[in-house]
Amino acid sequence: MSSTVTRTRVAVAAATAGIVVLAGCSSSGSSDNASAASCEPTKGKVTLQYWNTVPGMDKVVALWNKRHPDVQVETKNISNDQYGTLGNALKAGKAPDLAQVGYDELPNLRTQSAFVDASACTAAGAAKSKFVPWTWSQTSFGGTGVFAIPQDTGPMALYVRSDLFKKYGVAVPTTWDEYATAAEKLHKADPNLDMTFFDPNNAEWFNGLLWQNDARMYGYSGDKWQVTVDSAQSRQVAGYWQKLISEKVVRTDLAHGSTQMYAAYQKDRLATYVGAAWGYSMFRDNLPEQAGKWSIVPMPTWGANGSSGDWGGSTVAFMKGGRHLYESVEFNTWLNTDPDALAMENKLGGLYPAATAGLELPALKQGVPYYADEKIFDVFADASRKIDTSFSWGPTQKTVNLALQDAMAKAAAGDGSLTDALATAQSAALKSMKDQAIPATAGK
Amino acid sequence: MTDLATRTAGVAATPVRRRRIDGGGPRAGTVAAFVTPFFLPFLLFYLVPVGYALWQSFRVVRRSGGQYGTSYTAFGGFEQYGEVLRNTEFWSSIGRIGLFGIVQVPVMLFVALIIALLLDTPLLRAKGFFRIVAFMPYAVPGVIAAIMWSYLYSPQLSPVVDLLNGVGLHPDFLGPGAVLWSAANVSTWLWTGYNMLIMFSALQSIPQELYEAAKIDGASDWTTAWRIKVPIIAPSIVLTTVFSIIGTLQLYAEPAVLRQISSNISSTFTPNMLAYTVASGNNYQQAAAISVVIAVITFVLSFGFMRLTSRKAGL
Repeated sequence: MSSTVTRTRVAVAAATAGIVVLAGCSSSGSSDNASAASCEPTKGKVTLQYWNTVPGMDKVVALWNKRHPDVQVETKNISNDQYGTLGNALKAGKAPDLAQVGYDELPNLRTQSAFVDASACTAAGAAKSKFVPWTWSQTSFGGTGVFAIPQDTGPMALYVRSDLFKKYGVAVPTTWDEYATAAEKLHKADPNLDMTFFDPNNAEWFNGLLWQNDARMYGYSGDKWQVTVDSAQSRQVAGYWQKLISEKVVRTDLAHGSTQMYAAYQKDRLATYVGAAWGYSMFRDNLPEQAGKWSIVPMPTWGANGSSGDWGGSTVAFMKGGRHLYESVEFNTWLNTDPDALAMENKLGGLYPAATAGLELPALKQGVPYYADEKIFDVFADASRKIDTSFSWGPTQKTVNLALQDAMAKAAAGDGSLTDALATAQSAALKSMKDQAIPATAGK
Repeated sequence: MTDLATRTAGVAATPVRRRRIDGGGPRAGTVAAFVTPFFLPFLLFYLVPVGYALWQSFRVVRRSGGQYGTSYTAFGGFEQYGEVLRNTEFWSSIGRIGLFGIVQVPVMLFVALIIALLLDTPLLRAKGFFRIVAFMPYAVPGVIAAIMWSYLYSPQLSPVVDLLNGVGLHPDFLGPGAVLWSAANVSTWLWTGYNMLIMFSALQSIPQELYEAAKIDGASDWTTAWRIKVPIIAPSIVLTTVFSIIGTLQLYAEPAVLRQISSNISSTFTPNMLAYTVASGNNYQQAAAISVVIAVITFVLSFGFMRLTSRKAGL
């Protein structure tokens, strides 16, 4: 097995060598800019760096560069290892002016003092009204600054195989209770048919479900993070899915986006998909023969609470070390509010916009052929406006997600329950924050 | 102990002729020219990172100021090591690969030995062909091999699973109990040929006279194999075992790939995966401590094994 040894060694050496290069700055610490940076236009020509993960983003930037000869933007695609690349660049003091950062990674990077507050630039603060409310609450950290501009979102909805529902005479569910009943009926009608799959290794998805039920995973008061990963609301969601898993009406053996998952849909083994706006092209591109069989309806709701959840999406953050804040704000707001830019991002990168103007894009107002010409984006636009603005991600979200996933996988394999998984995630959150010396306490 | 001491002394006392290399100036320069291309990368990419990891493992993160305060690292003594030793995930990952190693390593080496012995018999034709075939899996990168096998394990896509379903068997290669052995199977498939080749080359170096002598004494092929060949190549078997122990402790690629399709492989499945997971949460200090502990365990086990076998077999 010596080659494993060699390979691992190479990897370890490369990783540690990376750290060595950064050693000089790692212990020096860095302070968070409580006060906003100054915002002066730079004289003469400016070149900005924008690192992103969006396919086709270079073409959008080319459009900007053509229109703004004095503010040239260079792009770099870092989708290979987005946060690894960013983290290393930050430690080396070589971060770009602007970078793609997911909503759930914002608190982590801010804890590492990765951002500058752009609120000194009036254009940055003024952009607030142009975005779907929940997105701005994330990028402004509840209105305490402007650390990023929202780019895209993943409002959630229910993808339904309407043909199967019709075939078995089952009504499309509008509440989670109805969803559970429909799951039972469909499974009874065809034992090979399951309602959907629950991927235990997809905490991001599960978090979207928590968000929908107003389960706020974190809060902040009295100089401390309040960890509420394990709360009455989150336990309600976990208990619900645990029941579906125990009754074997949802599958737990499929990884999201895997070939196996598509194969199961293709063989008519799954009736619904709880997904985000960006998922519409997944089905269209991977299961072309099911055109016309799918509809998209609002997420089933928890009783009278008509909220939706968000799964994914990202922002363009103002990175520490950028020297041209004024121009960065100018470009960043254009990139995420200009109708031409939004249209290109939607077409080339499949982004579902965070800007309210984006929701009105002609392409998002039309019927979609794959979905029987239904205006599916109206469903997502509506969901986008119904997402809780008080939800907050934690500063060690990635670690918490992994702990949650490991525990959910155990539960799916019959060892413990999803509710136990929440307790595990809660203690992982507290421990990881303690490891990073972040003041935290278990909230109520 | 005395026995070993004598033997070691014996080795040291072997009259090795040493050429003097410190004779003249130009020679020192020559030595430097030959050694530097090795030593410089060794220093930069091996010693320095290892030293840095060691240093990191004694640091802890501290922070001043509220929710998003300033962070810095400080000396923390053995704090990170305490964390590692108290971490139940760490010990379960060690236990898991311990089980893996106890089963997989002997199975793999036994199969490798059998193939090597078969290739060494004069009865076999097309030796070169069979040798290449047995060695071929090693040419496949580990990650690719794992991806390939993950298709064979997957209930939705695998022809093997379809076939077994056809005869009424419903194996779940990715289930909570089976997935460790599915990973072990990938490792075995990958590394058997490599280990076989080491043993085979050792067999090749056995002088023919020994076989002739054995034949004259009336030894069958079977006896020749077990009584002569195997004891003679014992050092190679020990070597491959040590490699395998190290490889097992550093297991990463196979489970990491299978994790993509099976939720029964957790993010802390093997010690290396745990270290990676911890590092991905920005806790480099603790990841460094985990790495150091893994290294120590590896040293203890591989040197322990060598000592044990050298005492027993007199190698």
